[in-house]
Amino acid sequence: MNYFAKMRGTTKSPPGVGLVEIVWSWLGGFIGIGAVAVVEAYMFEGTDLMLMIGSFGASAVLVYGAIKSPLAQPRNLVGGHFLSALVGVAAFKIFQGQPILAVAVAAATAIAVMLATKTLHPPGGATALIAVLGGEKVHALGFLYAVIPAAAGAAILLIVALLFNNIPKSRRYPEFWL
Amino acid sequence: MPETTIETCVPVDISDDDIFEAMRDIPGYLDITPGDFKEVYLKAYQHALKRLARSITVANVMNRDVASVREGAPLKEVAELMAARKVSGVPVLDDKGQVVGIISDKDFLEVMGAGQTDSFMTVIAKCLLGKGCLAAPHHARFAKDIMTSPAVTVKPEIPILEVADIFTQKKINRAPVVDAEGRMIGIVSRADVLKSSFFPEGV
Repeated sequence: MNYFAKMRGTTKSPPGVGLVEIVWSWLGGFIGIGAVAVVEAYMFEGTDLMLMIGSFGASAVLVYGAIKSPLAQPRNLVGGHFLSALVGVAAFKIFQGQPILAVAVAAATAIAVMLATKTLHPPGGATALIAVLGGEKVHALGFLYAVIPAAAGAAILLIVALLFNNIPKSRRYPEFWL
Repeated sequence: MPETTIETCVPVDISDDDIFEAMRDIPGYLDITPGDFKEVYLKAYQHALKRLARSITVANVMNRDVASVREGAPLKEVAELMAARKVSGVPVLDDKGQVVGIISDKDFLEVMGAGQTDSFMTVIAKCLLGKGCLAAPHHARFAKDIMTSPAVTVKPEIPILEVADIFTQKKINRAPVVDAEGRMIGIVSRADVLKSSFFPEGV
């Protein structure tokens, strides 16, 4: 297809969802993110650890709002955050004096690693960036960042997704595990 | 002429609108566009066709009741048999029942004065021009004199998809089916392959 013709698009956008689906998705997001916030507030208070990072908001979109998506499956959710966090921490450590290079390498390498390991999960890109941009508290964690908050927070979202998404008749989760 | 392959067979012309409606029937957000789904569907259809064609073997579709002749059969007998059975070709067997060649109506045309590429009408035309007619000199000849040898044969266990390729490559319309010892057990024609490729449930 011609280069510019490609930019016109070739098909129509998929259908929207009904009100019931919207309500369930809202409720899932509320409980999932709420659960992470509650655990952080009660178990992490007074420690140098954290559990909530911004990329979990993006994960909530997938695991409560687009639950059939391959990007929203357990392997992708947990694997994507964990591996991207490792990539992000490594990029920060390797390119410490060069913040521009560090963020670009972190995001790009996270994409490549997730694709190569079949764990593509878009919020992982954010998790990698946060490892570089997250400030003193994040940097102090070192590679622990990949376990807490990245993998642990993703695991909480996953548990809520399993318990919650299988309640309504019209939903089931996951499509696959590995 | 573009080659006809199984890939060029298009299933029901499913539209983006059909897919859109189907996606609406499924609750929840589906992370795929109708266009992508259509592409997946068409490719899956081709794979299904290939799988079906691969699962059907020569043994499933061949004709076991074959008219055949011996090497030493006079051409008159061969022609009579082909006429009686309404077939355009017969395998030629030796004493052990092994296929040594095949005779088709084209072989007859050739000895009656048509060249490799000429048709039946060429022979008629020559006949009407009075250039000597034609079958008479071959009265005393035998099957082995005009047969195409060796014949292209196939094994009963190969998929008909491969047979279709063989037919196309060798430009033939039928192939005797032989067992491990080379003995004929049936014959498979283009029509057999065609019928079973696209209506596999009828096998």
